Amino acid sequence: MDSEKVKLKLEHISQSYIVNNQVFDAAVDVSMEVRDSEFLVLLGPGRCGKTILLNMIAGLEKPVDGRILLDGEEIKGSDERIGMVFQKRALMPWKTVMQNVEFGPKIKGMAKEPRREIAQKYINLVGLQGFEKSYPDELSGGMKQRVSIARAYANDPEILLMDEPFGALDAQTRYAMEEEVQRIWETEKRTVIFVTNNIEEALYLADRIVLLSNCPAHVKAVYDVKLPRPRNTIDPEFLRLRREISDNTDLAL
Amino acid sequence: MKKEKEELFLSEYERRELLQSRIYRVLPVAAILLLLLLWVAVSRGEASKFPSPTAVWERYLKLLDRPIKNLGLFGHIWASLQRVFIALGAAWVIGISFGILIGWNKKANALLGPIFTAFRAVPPLAWVPLVTMWFGIGEFPKVLIVFVGALMPVVVNTQAGIANVQKEYMDIGTIFHANGRQMLLEIAIPSAFDAIFAGIRNSTSAGWMVVLAAEMLGGKSGVGFLIVRGMDSGDYPLCLLSMICIGVVGYLLAIVIQFLERIICPWTAKKSN
Repeated sequence: MDSEKVKLKLEHISQSYIVNNQVFDAAVDVSMEVRDSEFLVLLGPGRCGKTILLNMIAGLEKPVDGRILLDGEEIKGSDERIGMVFQKRALMPWKTVMQNVEFGPKIKGMAKEPRREIAQKYINLVGLQGFEKSYPDELSGGMKQRVSIARAYANDPEILLMDEPFGALDAQTRYAMEEEVQRIWETEKRTVIFVTNNIEEALYLADRIVLLSNCPAHVKAVYDVKLPRPRNTIDPEFLRLRREISDNTDLAL
Repeated sequence: MKKEKEELFLSEYERRELLQSRIYRVLPVAAILLLLLLWVAVSRGEASKFPSPTAVWERYLKLLDRPIKNLGLFGHIWASLQRVFIALGAAWVIGISFGILIGWNKKANALLGPIFTAFRAVPPLAWVPLVTMWFGIGEFPKVLIVFVGALMPVVVNTQAGIANVQKEYMDIGTIFHANGRQMLLEIAIPSAFDAIFAGIRNSTSAGWMVVLAAEMLGGKSGVGFLIVRGMDSGDYPLCLLSMICIGVVGYLLAIVIQFLERIICPWTAKKSN
């Protein structure tokens, strides 16, 4: 596998909004490359820019300026090859776990048998067998996020976007879910773009970290994380990188 | 005896929980008893203008014996219910469809929304004169008036539910590349079920109220007719008896609707538990 192959490319992306009759720049001239099958983390302070970049890649909003290229071709709007795990889990409460996970294949018009099979595979992968008939409101926060991950995978995306998926979880669950995501990513290699504001989480998961500035967002630095997996969070090199990134991060107010 | 033994092993907290749950079971019964006492108190004495519980009870027994217009009490209740059911069935089908149309399609809403809002302000009973002129005083005009009364809440709630689907749910549709039809059927309509059911609940109680009023304006059957009959003949225990029946049936209808909601939308039931 050619790991240096560029999968997704952002070229001079800018985004601004009009808030109270003033132009508010959310992102300015952001360019980056995402390699095939890599785990890329977008790290940045506060709530500025990261989610907006992800939403633009997902096709939920259009950039004011710049282009997004997938496999060398510009994409406009949402693309079937890109899946997303939302910050607020956004499971459909009226659907069972199974119905949520099989949503993507169902939308594509896949027959019931094969799509159930696929959904079951990913339900098992995230460790939720036995909960197929449960409704999201019967599940804990961590379990809901697992369903959300299974749903994204079941649609067989080439690129998986994860928007601060563990932001709402307690610390214990968060660590467990970070391990889970790493395990799943190693089982089912996809290109992952993961947004977080947590340096430790970024270092634990990432092949590369793209550090963004505070508002408006632009790329401040890119770090290659070459530590072996699973990572030891008290390894001296891990701590050194953590300090380095921390010193380079803007303060979020 | 067995129950008391079990309680010995309960923790302080569990005992309080048990007491709490008992209180909630006792409270409604206590309220009904209190109301009965109050009723007895105000209807005491020769000069009281309030029909006493015994008078109402006797009126009930007499009605079982001697039907009015060939129908007993339950016959009249059933006559009213039949009108409501027919009207509700039509109001739900048409109201939900219309609500989805103006909730989903902005052009349809721009076209029909204002007219609908204006019609909504007209109380269903204001239609009585025109409807009577057009269709006489048979079954159809009564059902029609109930239909008008039941339609409004269904349309309003459905429209609001469909038009205000949370953005995150719509985003899921976008991410998974759903087309317009799938957006509507897979996301918008199910997410609006709560609102639609609120409309169904309101339309049921509205329909039940309107049918009684419609029956008071003419007819030979129904609980509303019984009230008019009681008024005309000075038979006030009959009026009060009918009112009690209206209350009880209304209550039962609400329970049936709640039960329906649990079956059709199982996720809402699980949330409230």
